[in-house]
This record gives sequence, C-alpha cells and structure tokens, in this order.
Amino acid sequence: MALIAIIDDDPDIIEASKLVLKSHGFDIITASNPDDGYKIVMEKNPDLIILDVMMDEPDDGFFLAQKFRKNNVKTPILMYTSVSKTTGYDFGQSDMVPVDDFVEKPISPEELIEKVNKLLNKN
Amino acid sequence: MEELKENKAKELIKESKPKVLIVDDEKGLRLGTQRLLEMEGYHVETAENGTEGIEKGTNNDFDLAVIDLKMPDIDGLQVLAEIKNARPNTVCMIATAYASYDTAIESTRLGAFGYIPKPFTPDELLYNLQKAYTQRVLMLESEQLKKEREANLLELANERSRLSTIINLIGDGVLVINKQGEVVYRNNAVFKNLNIVEAKNNKELLSKLPDKIIDLIDNYLGSDELIKKSYSTQIEIIHNELFVEAVTSPVPNPDGSLAGVAVVIRNITELKKIELIKNQFVSMVAHELKTPVAAVLGFLKIIIDKNLNISEQQRNDFVSRSILRLRSLLDLVNDLLDISRMELKTKQREIVTLDIKEIIKSTVELLEIEAQKRSISFNLVTEESVPVIKADQNEITRLFTNILSNAVKYNKEEGSIKIITGSNENYLIVKVIDTGIGLKDDDKEKLFQEFYRVKNEHTRGISGTGLGLTIVKQIVDSYHGKIEVESQYGEGTTFTIYLPINNNN
Repeated sequence: MALIAIIDDDPDIIEASKLVLKSHGFDIITASNPDDGYKIVMEKNPDLIILDVMMDEPDDGFFLAQKFRKNNVKTPILMYTSVSKTTGYDFGQSDMVPVDDFVEKPISPEELIEKVNKLLNKN
Repeated sequence: MEELKENKAKELIKESKPKVLIVDDEKGLRLGTQRLLEMEGYHVETAENGTEGIEKGTNNDFDLAVIDLKMPDIDGLQVLAEIKNARPNTVCMIATAYASYDTAIESTRLGAFGYIPKPFTPDELLYNLQKAYTQRVLMLESEQLKKEREANLLELANERSRLSTIINLIGDGVLVINKQGEVVYRNNAVFKNLNIVEAKNNKELLSKLPDKIIDLIDNYLGSDELIKKSYSTQIEIIHNELFVEAVTSPVPNPDGSLAGVAVVIRNITELKKIELIKNQFVSMVAHELKTPVAAVLGFLKIIIDKNLNISEQQRNDFVSRSILRLRSLLDLVNDLLDISRMELKTKQREIVTLDIKEIIKSTVELLEIEAQKRSISFNLVTEESVPVIKADQNEITRLFTNILSNAVKYNKEEGSIKIITGSNENYLIVKVIDTGIGLKDDDKEKLFQEFYRVKNEHTRGISGTGLGLTIVKQIVDSYHGKIEVESQYGEGTTFTIYLPINNNN
C-alpha cells in the first residue's frame, strides 16, 4: 500500500488527515516542521508528500518543496493552502511552486482522497 | 442735438473752471479775452510775450492755451512747441491774423489743436475753447485709462509670477496641455514625481510622459464634444518605490469649447506602502482565524463520517480538541478587538488611582495553579512605598496578565519568576525576571510584532495568539511608558516596564 508523508505544523490537521487517509488504507508518516519533514522523506521515500504552505514562516512549504526538487526528490507533492485565494496569492503551477496539486483548507475528506488517488495513479 | 452738447459743455466749464493761458503781446486783446473768459467760468492767466508764455505754460499744467502767432520776442510756433513738449496734455490753439496754409500745417504738426483767425468774435473764441476743452477732457481720460492699463498689466505680470511660484512650490506635479497636444505649462514637481531626469524642452517632456497619462489626455483631445469629467489613474513609476496618481481635468474656453487638459500628478508612495502593510495584516489575520476553523471542521467531518467508524474515545478526544481550538479562536478574536479598539482609541477608559502591588498580587494568584502544575515559583519583591499611578485598571491588569502568563508559559519545569517593583523620579518600574527558555537576538527584535511567535523546539505545544505582547506594547505606549527586554537564550528573559508617575496631583 502507498506511503504518504504529511508535513504540517498543526497537529490537529495532521491527526484529521491521518485518520481520513488511514481509513482508505494508506500508510502515514508525519512531521510537524520543515526539517523533520525533509528527514522523513529522505529516509522513508514515501509515494506522496502532503505539505502545508505556511508552517513557521509564511513560505516554509514552498521552500521545502523547492528543496525536495533541488535534491532530485521527484515524489508528487500535494500542497495544503489556507489564505491564498482571499489574499490574491493565487499560485499557478510553475518552477517557483514545484508542486503537483493544491487542497484548500478546510480540507474535505472526499476531495483529499480524490486528489491523493489521482496523484498516486499518475506515476 | 448740437445745442444740447454745447449746453452740456458750458455747464462742464462752469463746474470745473478750466485753466486757460492767454499768450498775446497785445494788451487790449489780452485783457478783453481774460474778462470774457472769466465771465464764462474759466480761470485765466496771461503772458505778454513768448518768453513769459513758455515759462508759465511749461511750469503749470494748463488745460488750455491760446497762443498768438506773431510776437516780438519769440515766435508763437516755438512757444507752442515748448509747451507741448513739457505738457503734452495742454490743448493749444494758435490765434493769428496772418493765417496761412503753411503755418496751419506747421502748427498742427507741432501739436496745436486748432487755429483761430484774428480778429475773432467772442462767440468764435468760446466755441473753439469749448471744443478744445472737450478734447482736453478726452485726453485726460485716455491718459488715465492708459495708466490703469499699464498698472493692470504690471499687476497681471506680478500675479502670473506669483501663481507660477505657488504652483512650483506644490509637491504635486502640474502639467497643462493645449488643444494641439503641446505642453504649455509644467512645474518642477512633474519631473520629480515622474522620475524624469532630463527633458530639454516641453516636446521632449511630452515624449517621456507615461503612456497611461498620454491615453487620458488623448481621451479629451480626440473627442468632438467637451468631456467634463476628470479621470485618474495610478502608475508605478519605479517598481515598489514610486507610485503616483495622475488626475486629468478638462480646461474649457469661456465659450465652452476645449482649451486644453490639466494634469495633476501626486506622489502616493506612502499611501501604497500603508496599503501593503494593511493587506499583509489582513492576510495574517485571515490565516490565523482560518487555521483553527480548518482544524475543527476537519474533526467534525471525521466525527460525522459513518465510513470512518471511529471509537468513542477518539470521538471524545476530537470534540475536546475542537473545543480547545475554538477557545483559542475566541481569545484571538478578543485580542484583535482589543488591538483595534486601542488603535482607534475608542476604548472607554476609566482612569483611577491604582496600587500596582495589588494588581500584581491578584494576577499572580490567578496564574498560581498553572504555575504549580510545572512547579514554577513566584517571588514578589516590592519596595516599601511604591508610588500609585493613575490608569485604567482593566488595561494594567491585562498588561501584567500577558507578561506574567508568558513568564509561566515559556518557563522551564521548576523554574522561577521574580517580580521586582520600584521607582525613580518619573517612573514606576516593574521587572519580571523568568528562568525560561530565553530569546535569540532575532526573536527579540520581532517580539512585539502582531502574530509573531517564537518557534523552536522548546515552544512547540505552547499555545497563544501571537498578540499578547503586541497588546502589552500598545498599553505601555498609550500611557507614554516604555518596555525593555533583555534575554539570554536558554537562560531566561527579563522584561522591564516603565509607567510614568503622575506627579501633578
């Protein structure tokens, strides 16, 4: 079964996402900051990374995504975003934002599962 | 009609008593004329030869002069010339028995108004003098008008230079374009606000104007009808450094047609910067509000989802965690309201005399339970006579609650918090010394910023809105006090709060 890494500084979001994904049979590893997140991805080589855009600093998620890509980690990345739309910070897919898809918080379980499956089937 | 005019002229002469100079070497004629004219209301002086005529006629401003052409000493034409030269507005008549075509031309050329052939009847003389006097009045009027016009022109020139000075002093750029699309006026601020370093002439200036301004101007110039509206546009002249707002208005002719377009170019960089800060703040607030909402919604969706089939224990756990998140959301909203009230200064203050020791004591009591859980001890050291201050009790309580609860939250197990109160001439001084996790230099600088929360391995699991110290700083500032922070990372932090003592009463 596919292994998914969730990297988010909000333990409640990790908990909720974990529960939803586990119920669909995925295995989950988690980290609550960018450094630990990088570590678990390098060690466990998951099939998918779920990454929150704002951790300690507003752009932490982006920097981590860029770090993965720079170090040749090609694992698909699904990014959790929170205020992007309301503040006009609308991200398109580009080199600046090397992620595969976005999920806007609050997360709907159906949407999360759908996007996760789509990204996993791409590979 | 003619008679009416004559009557009017007669009345005018009686009223204004015109001054007449009679220059004639014939005594009888001189005296006869004088008597006649004085009866008619003239003021008369006489000269018995050319020399005296020149002397009197140049030294006084006569309305009229009647000069005999042939005199023994000086020729009448020369007298005429001298008087006209010195007094151009004295209306001169030449009287002569030897009227000839040549002398008539010559005397006219020298400025004589008329020619009275001798001998003349009283009526002939009076008639000619009336005409001459009418001429004199016209000449004076025209001179007056000329003087006024010159004064007006001078005034106008002064006014223009004054106006130009004023417009040049304005910080806004002012630019006027005529109907042909040429720059006809610009002040210096145009260059500054549009960052145009050099334009040799107005044509070059026009070519350097931003397209957005040209488009607005063309709107007016290209329209068949007069556009009465003003338009404005915002232009970023230098990226992130210089923003301007250009406002164009039509300049109409008196008949309502278009004379040109006036453009006012205002520097709005500061406004834009404030807008940016506001947007950043709004986005931060939105993020902080949305985070707990997202977490709670996540839990609720799990609880309601029958497919997930969670245990009773899990459900209870999710519910109590949701409650915690909602409580913190409520705290956040309250903090935000406090901040905005303080910034708007709409907060109702009740200024009373406060005993700071009492406030600190009751705050400590409130925090004791939380502190005991982690074996943190309080140590309150107070001067015998701590001065009272005048302030709002709620605000000062809030201040110390925020400071002391931070001292508990960011302390180590079995740590301590020492509170020392004292004073100097002007300030009540409270030091709060904790043995907590301390601050790095980077964090110290940002400590009072909205939503700033120190994040490192020690602070995980400590909840807060990131607004506590922002509120503390606002309260301290609002009482014209100050707050200082010293800290050693890993060792502890000391906050020193200075509140002014009200010595006036």
